[in-house]
Amino acid sequence: MTTTTLDTTATRLPRLDWPFLIAAILGTGLLVALVALDGHPASAALVILGFALGVAFLKAEFSFTAAWRRFLVNGEAGGLLAALLLIAVAALVIVPVAALVPRFGGAIAPIGPSLVIGAFVFGIGMQLANGCGSGTLYTAGGGSGRMLIALALFIVGSFIGSLHLPAFLALGGVDPILASTYFGPWGGLAVTLASIATVALVIALVARARRADLMPRPLIVIGAIAIGALSIGVFLAGRHPWSVTFGFTVWGAKLAALAGVDFSGAEFWQWPGPKRALAQSILSDTSSLTDLGMILGAMAAAAASKPFARTYWPPARSLFAAALGGLLMGWGARIGFGCNIGAFVGGVASGSLHGWVWFAAALAGCAIGIRLRPLFGLSRE
Amino acid sequence: MRVVYALVLIAALAGVIADHLLSPASARAVSPGDFPGACAPCGAPCPSAQKK
Repeated sequence: MTTTTLDTTATRLPRLDWPFLIAAILGTGLLVALVALDGHPASAALVILGFALGVAFLKAEFSFTAAWRRFLVNGEAGGLLAALLLIAVAALVIVPVAALVPRFGGAIAPIGPSLVIGAFVFGIGMQLANGCGSGTLYTAGGGSGRMLIALALFIVGSFIGSLHLPAFLALGGVDPILASTYFGPWGGLAVTLASIATVALVIALVARARRADLMPRPLIVIGAIAIGALSIGVFLAGRHPWSVTFGFTVWGAKLAALAGVDFSGAEFWQWPGPKRALAQSILSDTSSLTDLGMILGAMAAAAASKPFARTYWPPARSLFAAALGGLLMGWGARIGFGCNIGAFVGGVASGSLHGWVWFAAALAGCAIGIRLRPLFGLSRE
Repeated sequence: MRVVYALVLIAALAGVIADHLLSPASARAVSPGDFPGACAPCGAPCPSAQKK
């Protein structure tokens, strides 16, 4: 009787969730209109590209977090190899254009304790939250209440990290190391692609030694190519590689200021870029534009395929893991110069060595995060 | 959960619009990494510049 009732209710539910689908499209249209009215077509393009990224991530179910966990636990390499394919696609344009075209630049960062510590903490957080920077955006946008909590704490952690970053920078480090600086635009691209191929080979050898699956699913391959192409679009519209987490830092700082928190003496917010971002509209910040577009794109894609956010809240322990994971990711991303997108994808696709250092440290953090997952009722796999 | 989502969406969009209308906007969207002296996407300075 109960089953029949549930089945009947299920068949009555609309396949298209019109209220949320319309809200997502109208919200995107509103953001595009606001920046277009100010005469900023590139900003409008960033919102639309973010929307497309949200759709692509959700439809391809592209997940850095699950791919890294499957590799570390079972040796499965498919997801990780797909991520490297994404980076290789993006690098084809980013490395030469950043080196040859004035006013374009790659994602660079200093290499030192701050990068390593931040990426390591981020890696722990991404396994507890079950999503990275992009993953948090598209799953929160896609109707996961759990990831909505992770996103809120990601924003809090990112703001806290901004207050701590100068102290971690004082620990030392070396200036960014960019392949194109040493080998020129095309030599730099060749070195970057060779480094991606080498890491892919190592990953494949590990998978083979562990007798695990090696090939990514076709949908993931299509997703990787689509996301790589869209990240090129973001680079061309924004003149620097796609990044996610600085937007969260600005949102956190604006909310903190609204709540009366005084951080006027904080060194981070005296640097020209952050100072300007705090003073101006968040729609003047490239990462905020793509972040907002991505949330709305994932919401539209989710609402277009099934009833939106009609699930129950998960157990309290799982919610606590999401909150803690979000907080660690936010703090780690700010200390470590970004997340999977800004530091790993953007860094490696720019030919910057810090991208690989970030990857190694975050992967080590993931190994710890995976061990902690059972404490919160989460599977290790 | 749908109610929570609806409220968050309305609050977020209202916040973005209010912030945009009440804040100045630059000529084009920028990243902190675009500013002179920036050594990272967040605008952090280079270690070599900090030592000086």
